[in-house]
Amino acid sequence: MKFALFPGCVLDGAAAEARTSLLKVCGRLGIELEEIKNWTCCGASHAQGVNDLAALAINARNISIAEHMGLDIMTVCNTCTLQLRTAKYRLDHDAKLKEKVNGILQEAGHPYAYKGTSKITHFLWVLDEHPELLEGNILPEGLNGARVACYYGCHILRPEEVMDHGSDRYPEYFERLVRRLGGQPVWFDANRLCCGFHAQFGAEDDVMKRTGQIVKSAGKARAELIATPCPLCQMQLDMYEPEGRDAIGDTTQMPILHLQQLVGLAMGMSKADIGFDRHVSGKLQLKLG
Amino acid sequence: MYAKLRIHRFVEGRKWKQDYTVEVKTGMTILEALIAIKEQQDPTLSFTSSCRSSICGACAVRVNGNAVLACETLVSDQLATYDTNVLTIEPLGNFEVIRDLVVNWDPKFDRMKKIDPAVEPKDEFSPEEGCRQSPEDFEKYKKYALCILCGSCVSECNKNSLNQKDFLDPFAFVKGEKIVSDSRDKSPKEHLRRIVDAGLWACFNCEECTAKCPKGLDPAGAIEKLKAETFKYGLADNVGAKHAKAIYDDIQESGTLDESKLNIKSEGFLKAGTRAPMGIRLMATGKLDPMASHPVNPEIATIKKIVQIAEQASKEG
Repeated sequence: MKFALFPGCVLDGAAAEARTSLLKVCGRLGIELEEIKNWTCCGASHAQGVNDLAALAINARNISIAEHMGLDIMTVCNTCTLQLRTAKYRLDHDAKLKEKVNGILQEAGHPYAYKGTSKITHFLWVLDEHPELLEGNILPEGLNGARVACYYGCHILRPEEVMDHGSDRYPEYFERLVRRLGGQPVWFDANRLCCGFHAQFGAEDDVMKRTGQIVKSAGKARAELIATPCPLCQMQLDMYEPEGRDAIGDTTQMPILHLQQLVGLAMGMSKADIGFDRHVSGKLQLKLG
Repeated sequence: MYAKLRIHRFVEGRKWKQDYTVEVKTGMTILEALIAIKEQQDPTLSFTSSCRSSICGACAVRVNGNAVLACETLVSDQLATYDTNVLTIEPLGNFEVIRDLVVNWDPKFDRMKKIDPAVEPKDEFSPEEGCRQSPEDFEKYKKYALCILCGSCVSECNKNSLNQKDFLDPFAFVKGEKIVSDSRDKSPKEHLRRIVDAGLWACFNCEECTAKCPKGLDPAGAIEKLKAETFKYGLADNVGAKHAKAIYDDIQESGTLDESKLNIKSEGFLKAGTRAPMGIRLMATGKLDPMASHPVNPEIATIKKIVQIAEQASKEG
């Protein structure tokens, strides 16, 4: 199984542990990844609010490079997934728009047109659709029954029409994966609330309150950790967990793991292997690894 | 087949949950189930509805935490979606409740007045001649005229659930985009200024409004269009807009986000300086390296050209 990897910006920055753990885990699972050459930022759900056509053309370029590689795209970031899938959805459903965008790419000297031949998927969806990948690669005890709060984040769920991977109202695939990894998914009230990462500058006080609410809710459900398929949600909840506690007057301390780190732990990797030393919160609370 | 409807009741300050069992007939909607309960089991249950054809917007309620139009939503579909035989029916979220499933629209209309929600005809138009508009210009806002003001979009809005004071309901932004993109309006800039002041850039971008709109109007997309309009009209002088522009510029300057400078570009040096404790925290864990140089994409000239040509094409429509 081979994909064109669209890593997204934070995997080269603040969430570098998301990249290192992904490469280790995919190496063990037999998922071959070839990075899209000279990819650019997907627009981070903000660029279209400056100029929509430019943001669309930028993602048409990203996708066209993967198409030239002859590979489907895999991401590990919800927002990258949404931005790329939205671009693909619009281009595949509007021939005039596709022609316009391809005209822009050509005029700018980009060598490939957008064709629509590469699918765009997320690491979580790959694991959900291919449970056989885990066979023989997970420890017999896996996560040893660890209570995991599955925090999907928004941009892997909505809009359902664009994402096309099950219900956005009652998703179950993350919980299903945690069970396969030997963990115990727990229901928590805040499981579908937005972390607010993208409004950090526009509504800072509300966002910090929300960070606190999500962590508190998982703690109340006696989760040992929160896991998420989105590095932006992870950064918001992990890096700002202290501010979140202050915002709502709570004391919960909780490790916030990237999905691939959770899979790595189920494979027997150590905290050091998954880059947990780079985390801010829940340092003493993580019992696995 | 029977289903249990667990309805959130609220009568004269008293709140409780009440279970009703209904026989699920083929094609039965949530509204038909509510009517059956009212007619056959409990005449005190209150809810609103009118057209039963997804047009009036009166019957929106929350089913298992998600807003739907009761008149177009099948009970059997909801049971299948949630893999259950119990559906929790609540009034719309982020609304004041009057009684049971009936919500108060008055505060919502008052809030919407912040954006002066009416087209102000250009001076060239007159009562005698009317307001002429080309079919192309009509197309630009036609979609947003289909809003039925059902309130589904705000029910699960993450920003509104935290704080309604500095933000609007998504349907108000839809209304705003309809007016700003209507060629008959003589003061789109003034409308836009009001929309910015009413909290445009505080949107969480969670897409709940788009997921919930029963008419497929994409309120989150309307918000993004309004944001892009603020750059055209020179109204993008605020921290949210500067943050979006910083990301946009990073794409054409290096190809990827330069996290170490994003705060300074978004907030300015002074405010970014107050973030020093966070910076130290991130440096301690290796998440931030202020000395690292940000790489530049080898194809940056092409990338910049793509952005420039797209900007030019946007101006030309």
